[in-house]
Order: sequence, then C-alpha cells, then structure tokens
Amino acid sequence: MSGALAGGPLIRPEETLQGIGGAVTAIPLTHPRNRRWWMAFAGAVALLGVFAFTLGTLLYAGPGVWANNNAVVWALDIASYDWWIGVASGSLLVSAVLLLLGAEWRGAVNRIAETLALLATASAGLYPIIHLGRPWFFFWNLPYPNTYDLWPQFRSPLLWDAIDIVAFLVICVSLWFIGMLPDLATLRDRAFVEAMRQIDVKAPTRRLALLRAQVYGIVASGWRGSAAHWQIWVQAYRTVALLGVLLVVSVQTGASVMLAGSLMPGWHSTLLPVTFLVNAVYSGVGITAAIVVLIRVVYGLDSLVTARHLDVLGRLLLGLGCASAYCYAAEYFDTFLNGDPEARAVLVRRLTGDHALVSWTAILGLVLPAQLLWSARARTTPLAIAAVGLLVAAGAYADHVTVLVVTLTQDFLPSSRLPYGPDPWGIATFAGSLGLFLTLLLLFLRYLPAVSIIESRRLALARAPGTEAAAREAASRATLRPEENPGPAPLWGVSATFASHADLAAALQAVSGISPPDHVHLDGHGPVPMPRTLRALGLEGRSILPYALAGALIGGAGFYGMCVYATAYDYVFLIGGRPRLSWPSFVVPSISFAMMTGCIAIHLALLVLNRLPRLNHPAFNIPGFLRASDDRFFLSAEARSDRFDAARFERRLTGLPVEAGRPLEIRRIPR
Amino acid sequence: MAQLFTPGADAIYRLALMTGVACLVGLPVLAAGIVRSNYVTGVGIAPAQPVPFSHKHHSGELGIDCRYCHTTVDKVASAGIPPTHTCMTCHSQIWTGSDMLKPVRDSYAQDKPLEWVRLNKLPQYVYYNHSVHVTKGIGCSTCHGEVTAMQMTYRANAFEMQFCLDCHRAPEKYVRTPDEVWNMTWKPPADQATLGPKLVAEYHIRGGSRLTECGICHR
Repeated sequence: MSGALAGGPLIRPEETLQGIGGAVTAIPLTHPRNRRWWMAFAGAVALLGVFAFTLGTLLYAGPGVWANNNAVVWALDIASYDWWIGVASGSLLVSAVLLLLGAEWRGAVNRIAETLALLATASAGLYPIIHLGRPWFFFWNLPYPNTYDLWPQFRSPLLWDAIDIVAFLVICVSLWFIGMLPDLATLRDRAFVEAMRQIDVKAPTRRLALLRAQVYGIVASGWRGSAAHWQIWVQAYRTVALLGVLLVVSVQTGASVMLAGSLMPGWHSTLLPVTFLVNAVYSGVGITAAIVVLIRVVYGLDSLVTARHLDVLGRLLLGLGCASAYCYAAEYFDTFLNGDPEARAVLVRRLTGDHALVSWTAILGLVLPAQLLWSARARTTPLAIAAVGLLVAAGAYADHVTVLVVTLTQDFLPSSRLPYGPDPWGIATFAGSLGLFLTLLLLFLRYLPAVSIIESRRLALARAPGTEAAAREAASRATLRPEENPGPAPLWGVSATFASHADLAAALQAVSGISPPDHVHLDGHGPVPMPRTLRALGLEGRSILPYALAGALIGGAGFYGMCVYATAYDYVFLIGGRPRLSWPSFVVPSISFAMMTGCIAIHLALLVLNRLPRLNHPAFNIPGFLRASDDRFFLSAEARSDRFDAARFERRLTGLPVEAGRPLEIRRIPR
Repeated sequence: MAQLFTPGADAIYRLALMTGVACLVGLPVLAAGIVRSNYVTGVGIAPAQPVPFSHKHHSGELGIDCRYCHTTVDKVASAGIPPTHTCMTCHSQIWTGSDMLKPVRDSYAQDKPLEWVRLNKLPQYVYYNHSVHVTKGIGCSTCHGEVTAMQMTYRANAFEMQFCLDCHRAPEKYVRTPDEVWNMTWKPPADQATLGPKLVAEYHIRGGSRLTECGICHR
C-alpha cells in the first residue's frame, strides 16, 4: 500500500524502540509546552462553560430557545448531531480500515483518529438527549421493564438511533482502550521509574509521582506484555475494528434511512446512504488530519508523524473529495433528470433560496479545497493539510444544515412555511459542544499517549534497521551473569533477558522440551507482539473469534427476538398499517446491538483468557522487568511443582550460542 | 524490581470492579423497586381524613348503595364526592351530638365543603370516564378493591398504565353482568371464560386493538 507513496521514509532509520517510547511518553510524563497547553485549555474550558450555560438555558426555557417555532423543529440540533456522529464515524472508519488492511504506517494516525471518534461520539450523544424537551426521561427510548407496560416502537428509526449511539459509544471506547492498553503499560513503567527516582532523591513530589504511576497501572490492568497477552490483544484489536466498520455502515445508513422514511422531498435519493457515508468519512479524515498536524507541530513529533504520513492523509482527503463531488453531481443530475417536482424544487431552493449561503459553503468546502491536494507540495505542507481538513469539516457541517433545513422550511402545508433564520442559541450550543470536545481532547493529549507507541514500534522493527542494530549492540556489551544465590525466599521461577524477539523465540524453543507443562509454565514478555514464540509456548491456534462470534450472535439474536416478541406478541399495535411482524425494520438495531455485545464479549475474553486484571504479579519481581514495555524481551519459567529443576534450565540457556538465543542475563526470581 | 502494587491491591481492584458491575445492575433494579413500592404508589395507605368516615360501616354493614353518595358514577365521567348535605340526610337525625361528626355539622352550618384527602388520582393527560366503565359491566371493586371492607379508605391499586392496559387488552376477563357491577366481593365466576366474551359482545365493547389505541385514554 505504501510502496507507491512519495515523500520520504515513514520512520527515520535511526529510531529505536526505546526512543519511540521516550518521545511519546514524554508528553504525558513531563508536560512539554505547558504554557501553551494551559492557554488552550483555558479557552476550551471557557467554551465548555458556554455549553453549560446554553444547556442550562435550554433546560430552563425549553427547546423553543432554538428559534424553532416553525417547521424546522430540529433547528441546528440534528444537523449538529449528524455532523458529530459523521466525524466520529469517519475517524473510526479510518482507524479501523487502516488496522484491518495492515497499513503499517497507521501508528501516527490511528490513536488520534480513535480518540476523535470517541470524543466526537460523546459530543454527538448529547444532542439527541438535549433535544427531547424533557431530557431526564431519555431512558424512555430504551426497552426496559416499565410500569406503563409499553415497549419502545422497534419499527421506528428513532429507536434504531438510540441503540446505534449506545453501541457506537461502546465500540469507540473499546477500540480506543484496547489499542492503548500496551501503551498504558509503557506509560506505567516509565512513570514508575520516574517515581522510584524521585523516592531515591526524596523529591517533594514523590508521592504524587507514585500515585500517577499507580493510576496508569490501574488503567493498564496489569498488562505485562506476555506473549499470550499479545496474541489475544492483536486479535481483539482487529476484531473490534471489524465490528466498528460494520457499525459505521449501519449507523450512517440508519441516519439516512431515517430521513428517507419521511415524506419530505429532497431526502429520497437512493445515493443518500452512500453520500452520508462518504461525507462522514470525509469530515472525519479532515478533522483527524487537522489534529494530527496540530499535535505534530505543537509537540514536535516530526520523527513519528513524517511527511509521508501527511502525504497519505492528503491523498485520502483528495480521494474522498472527489467521491464527495461525485455524490453531489450525481444527486443533482439524477434529480433533475428524473426526480419529482418537489425534489427538484428543493435543489433549486438550496442553491438560490434563503439558505443559499449555507449550501454554497457546503459545496465549496467539500469539493474545492481538496483539489489543492493534487499538488505533491501541498500534500506535504502541514498547514495546507490542516487548512483543507478544517474547511472540509466546515463544509460537512454546512451540508448537514442544508440537507435538513432547506427541506424542512417548506413542507407541503403553505401555512407552515415560516422562515427559519440564524439561531444564536443553537450556534452557541454547537460552539459549546466543540468546547466539550476540545476540553476532553486536551486532557487526552496531556495525560495519555497521543501517538501509538506500539504501532510505531512495530513499524520501526519492520522498517528501521537501527532498531535491531541497537538491540544487538546492547546484547554484545552485556555480560551473562547467572544468579547463583536466590536468597531465602521460595523460588517463583527463572527469568532470562534478551535483546530481540528472535533470541527469545529461539531460547523458548530450546527450553520448551525440558520439563512437562505441569512442572513449569513458560512465558515470554516483550514490548511488541511476539508471534514466533507461540509455537514453543503451545499457544498456537488460540483464537478470540469464537467468543466474538458467540457474543455478537447471542446479542443480535436476543435483540431481534425481543423485537419480534414485543411487536408481534406482547405489544400488538397497529401503526401505519404495518404488519404485525415487520421483520425488516428490526434488522438495523439488531446488527448494532450485535456489534455491541460482540465487543463486550471480546473485552471479557481479553481479560479472562489473559487472567487480567492482575496488578501485582511475580513477573514484576524480575530485575529490569520494566523494560519489557520498552526494549527488552524476557523469558519466564514459573515453577509449578517441586520437581522443577532450575539449575538444568539455566545450564540449557547459558549453553545456547550467542547468535541463537543466549540470554543477556539469567535470574532466579523469588515468589 | 519492586512491585508497583501490593498483593492485596488485586483483591481490592477486583472487588471494586465487581462492585461497579453489581451497582450497574443493582441500582436500576433498586430504583425500579422503589418506583413500584407502596411507599411511592400509596397503595394500602389510609391517610387521615377530616372525618374518619368508614366505608365498611356505611356501605358494608349498613348496606348503603355506592350510588347513594357517588351519584353520578353511572352518568358522567366523575363519580362525584357527596356534598355535606348527603351526610346530613341521616346525621341530622342520628348521632346528632357525636363529637366525631362535629366537622360535618360545622361544614353544614358554615356552608363550607369538607376537604377530603384524595386517594385515587390520575394524571391530567389521562381521560377517564366512570359511567362508560360502570354501564359496560366493569365493577367498582375491579379498580377500587373491596371498599366495603375498608374501615378507613385506602388506595387498592396503583393506577399505573399497566393496570389499565391489563383490562383494556383483555376486557373479557373482568367484565360482569349488570347486577354484579356493585358487588364488592365479586370473583370471576367459573364460566367467565365463556360468559366474558358473550358479555363483551352484548355490551358492544370493541376490545383488543381498539381499546389499546393511545387516543382512547390520551385525548
């Protein structure tokens, strides 16, 4: 995929595993550019205050403050919701597709894209709730046992939307968290090293430093980078990404079908679901590109977010810009060729009516700026990429407003054609939701790794010869030092340290036959996935897929069964002449629900199969084990019975040739 | 290498996780339980009234017909609360010196109505008509319970929507012959399964889908 791209290497050849970890964790641990961060944070919190104020006014006065005492009852609310969920869908799709395609350069982009997806979903999720009028009854949308003896109307896209947004939030949190889990462990270990340094010098902030390490430790759930952890992690990450892609399609088509389900003109083009999806992904990539550039500039991460990455983002924007232009052209062409008169009138009103300015902003913002990116120079200019991204996002917002407002202002009743103009409270609410987004984003940047350490390390191992060389060099300098005196404490096991994945795999292969599994439990630990150790560990073929599949199928079938039971048996209700068993309308929410339960099953499997969370583990007693999340690989042989012969183990390891698995260090680890 | 967490931290962490999950499940269950409890619905709670009027004594033991006091129950939407004059038809003749009845005599003398504490309330967005229920074979006790056994009157049923829908979905389970409507100890007869549908047809009750339309109650 990256072979044909221009613009320099994806990662500098001299990058090392340790260097990558240091560059990224420096941001949450030492807070560079603190002053600028606080200024930005103050601005974001001020906007958040605007949000609180507008929401307070809304709750006190009711949704009428949105100047919607006309046919545009949604005012800017649903347009804002659609925009946010579009950005979320786009970001999620970018991250998930890059992960599924195995694009090895994704490390610089995917963490930010996942974070944007999560934060945009949080902003989006508030909109449907606040426009309810009585938001505290939002749970009436959900099927729960109630004293009304009622079910929600499963045939309604509004209910689909409630399920979609809950499922979307779960998937976003999952993808974000699973992807970050190993990085959190790196952060924990580095914070712990710093805390121990402060304790040694009796620094006044040592308690705070230890607390910080412990907070990261709790969130990291005791991740040890064990080969078994990594095996499940790789599968879990990819599977959640797959569920995310399916959910994005379901959510965006659901949103467009919701419009198509009405009688209003202008919402019935068969291309509408595709247009929604394209523009959603487009705006998501736009915002992602802008934020990536921002982070690169502010934190000086040029070494990890290279010109090549900008080039790739530029190409993505250009491609989506062309797709968006095609969707626009096709909608106009198709409607004028064979649309009904009302639909044609809507298109004319979009271009010449009261809201023509908004419509033209949409068309110009979505179609034109991306064309700049035909130029290779523009694609590698950070400012150009960021500007195009922001213009695209603005264009997408204008597009959502156009699609909803122009149609709604003029329905089939001439008596309800009241004008809908600029609405200060709606705009302030949207600005406030941006404040929520920015506040959370800034908190994320300050306390969590903004660039994926693990993905950058995998890229470095694949692409940067310096990584392996540095490891080899370290190995040649180290001296083998078997620990002869294990001390009075009972023995937990034996550990050995290696400089590379290959050495660890070779050593594991060599020792795997010494003792039967009921005498010793072997494991490998390291900073990257270690597929080559799995055969020696007897873990080959372990898969998370059955759990994901079972979770999704049980959840989906259960939800579908609930819809059928409620609609056809328990709560028979004649609505719009629909049949008792209107089975097609239950498909969309069932799919969304299935994605959610599949995702929850993956989470449970990830924890249970790996016996996590486990904050305190004897493996952490291995000297220097904190480097297992940095640049060292460890073999651990845990004694399972008294017949475990540690000395024989050590002899076997020391007997290995230097180039094929001789450890840097062997230790006996007390329990 | 030192451990960041003590061995006990795991137990605490797992306990916290399980507590979180238990709360996630338990709190909604608790809230649902509270909402349905008599404490909230007021079922079975007899509040103090200006006069300790006993339905058991007047209607149960003395046999006064419901309609003697609630005169409009079979004619209009509201069953009607009797004016003081209704009480005084008898109590101008008997128990005329009773202390217990002093508020009634005062009310009569001052021409000020007694202010009873209302028990059976429906939300304002619910349209309910007593007469149509009573004349179509739904007895008093189906909703109000065995009032003739209540010394002090209390609410017998929480008038939540599921209570109304239970009957609206299957009126044949509750419908009675006209002479049984005022029977406060009515139990469905053995042949309700055959009698019910017949009565529903006779009363022209259009059950099922018609009676569960939103607009039947929420107009």
